[in-house]
Amino acid sequence: MKISKQARREAKSLFRICVVNGLLDDNRVRQAVQQVIAQKPRGYVGILSHFQRLVKLDIARRTAKVESAIPLAPPLASGVQNRLTQIYGAGLSVSFAQNPGLIGGMRIQVGSDVYDGTIQARLAALEQGF
Amino acid sequence: MSTLLQEIEAQIAGVKTAVARQNVGLVREISDGVAKIEGLTDAMLNEMLDFGDGVMGLALNLEETEVGAIILGDYKGIKEGQEVRTTGRLLQVPAGKALLGRVVDALGRPLDGKGPIATESFYPVEKIAPGIIKRRSVSQAVQTGIMAIDAMIPIGRGQRELIIGDRSTGKTTLGIDTIINNARMNRQAEQAGDKSYRPLYSIYVGVGQKQSNIARVISVLEQYEAMPYTIVVAASASDSATNQYLAPFAGCAMGEWFMDNGMDALIIFDDLSKHAVAYRQVSLILKRPSGREAYPGDVFYLHSRLLERAARLNEQNGNGSLTALPIIETQLGDVSAYIPTNVISITDGQIYLETDLFYQGVRPAISVGLSVSRVGSAAQIKAMKQVAGRIKLDLAQFRELAAFAQFGSDLDSKTQAQIERGKRIVEVFKQHQYSPIQVEIQVAVLWAAQNGHFDDVPVEKVKDCQGKMGDYLTTRKAELTGRILKEKALSDQATAELKAAVTEFKQTYK
Repeated sequence: MKISKQARREAKSLFRICVVNGLLDDNRVRQAVQQVIAQKPRGYVGILSHFQRLVKLDIARRTAKVESAIPLAPPLASGVQNRLTQIYGAGLSVSFAQNPGLIGGMRIQVGSDVYDGTIQARLAALEQGF
Repeated sequence: MSTLLQEIEAQIAGVKTAVARQNVGLVREISDGVAKIEGLTDAMLNEMLDFGDGVMGLALNLEETEVGAIILGDYKGIKEGQEVRTTGRLLQVPAGKALLGRVVDALGRPLDGKGPIATESFYPVEKIAPGIIKRRSVSQAVQTGIMAIDAMIPIGRGQRELIIGDRSTGKTTLGIDTIINNARMNRQAEQAGDKSYRPLYSIYVGVGQKQSNIARVISVLEQYEAMPYTIVVAASASDSATNQYLAPFAGCAMGEWFMDNGMDALIIFDDLSKHAVAYRQVSLILKRPSGREAYPGDVFYLHSRLLERAARLNEQNGNGSLTALPIIETQLGDVSAYIPTNVISITDGQIYLETDLFYQGVRPAISVGLSVSRVGSAAQIKAMKQVAGRIKLDLAQFRELAAFAQFGSDLDSKTQAQIERGKRIVEVFKQHQYSPIQVEIQVAVLWAAQNGHFDDVPVEKVKDCQGKMGDYLTTRKAELTGRILKEKALSDQATAELKAAVTEFKQTYK
């Protein structure tokens, strides 16, 4: 769907309004969406489309996914969570998942940043090198 | 076996144990060699991106929510949702003397089947041109071997001289002749052990050309033994728009290696019209705003940043040079179109080839009136300046008077003589393709023409007379021509000897 520049601008200003103290306020986001649907301004579908994308990217930036081959011990898990919060700030939501395919080690993804210390990744790097 | 074990140990040791932060994104859209990637928040402009399986890309569009990248290689295996990583590197191509004699693609990968290229130097494809302080004015000649150019539109080392004309007017031939002539001069100097001679290495960049044309160019260069001094960068019409867009920059990077290492290089971009078209395609797919004739707004910058990299450096920076001969194809002789006017304003002169002249048999079909070299006689050896100083004026006067040629019987003797002299000068400047003429023979022939030694030769026999005179001087007066070449000037004694030699030749010529 082609979204006009005007719609992008309006979606961006709507997004900025929903950011409180540097964090996206869920209630404001819901209210914003309801208001736009109720009032139906010109190009509102495009506005909502782009707004959804901005929200999705922001959520991805504030979401950390920690994958490991086996479940992490609670002290280790909380240590990882604290360190990530130190680096990326408050408001970070951390989720833990198991992936036996990683063989060992841990893979952490926060938005576009990836910290990959898994054995699978190192084997892939070795394979690439050869 | 022990080297294999060492290699494996080195590979294992090279795998870092520390975990480093990487930046990744996901392919949101892929079409026609261009990918839109979500994420990659740390991507920088022109950064190399890794799509996995050896496929790389170049980040060209950095937008708020996504990165637009062009794929360097086979994009058919890339899927939506595929992970892409940044590499922190700029695109680089191999550079160095190991590339001489090779045919490579826009990324420097060999295409000629002669094995991998063993080089340790890699140069960035996109690089800022040398600054003002690093440069020096152009004063050394590029001997193209084409008399019309060396006499009237001289090119210097470090200059940008545009070759512009309609299709099939001999644009590529001018470039190839220049390569062949300089290869001959390089070989001559090597065999003579002349340490004072600075060889000129050549790079031919074929952009959007038919593969048969590129193959023909390569076979001509091999036939005339020019390949050992030449690099061919091929991005043919069947290559992706990405490769065609990058090829001139890759060729320029290879030329810059020579320049930065104190050597001289010549690069021919054949042609920049197709380069602009490839860039237009890439920009339109990246959804960049389009301007005049659907070209993106920065099409001027595309060529200006490329051609500014051709320069002559001063002594403190190695004294090297890179000479550029960009080629532009016009439609129906329209030099006022968008891309031609852009490139004309960037370059230090143009050689304009006319279709009418070509079909009249004037080949090379150089329009002397519209062609110019802004460097001028600063790029000519003294001998050439001495004999060619008046030629352009004589030809201009001849063209003015040519309209009256049909009334030959009604003209005074002086005008008639001027017309006859002009016809013979036009004949002298005709030249077969792939037959460059040594500069010392050019000087001798032009001296003979200016001093009336062709006036008694029928116009239709001037070429034959010129050819035989050249052979005579090469075989019987090699000492004289060698002296002209060495001294680069016509002394009084050399002039007297030349007069005697030409007179002697004319007595035997029938």
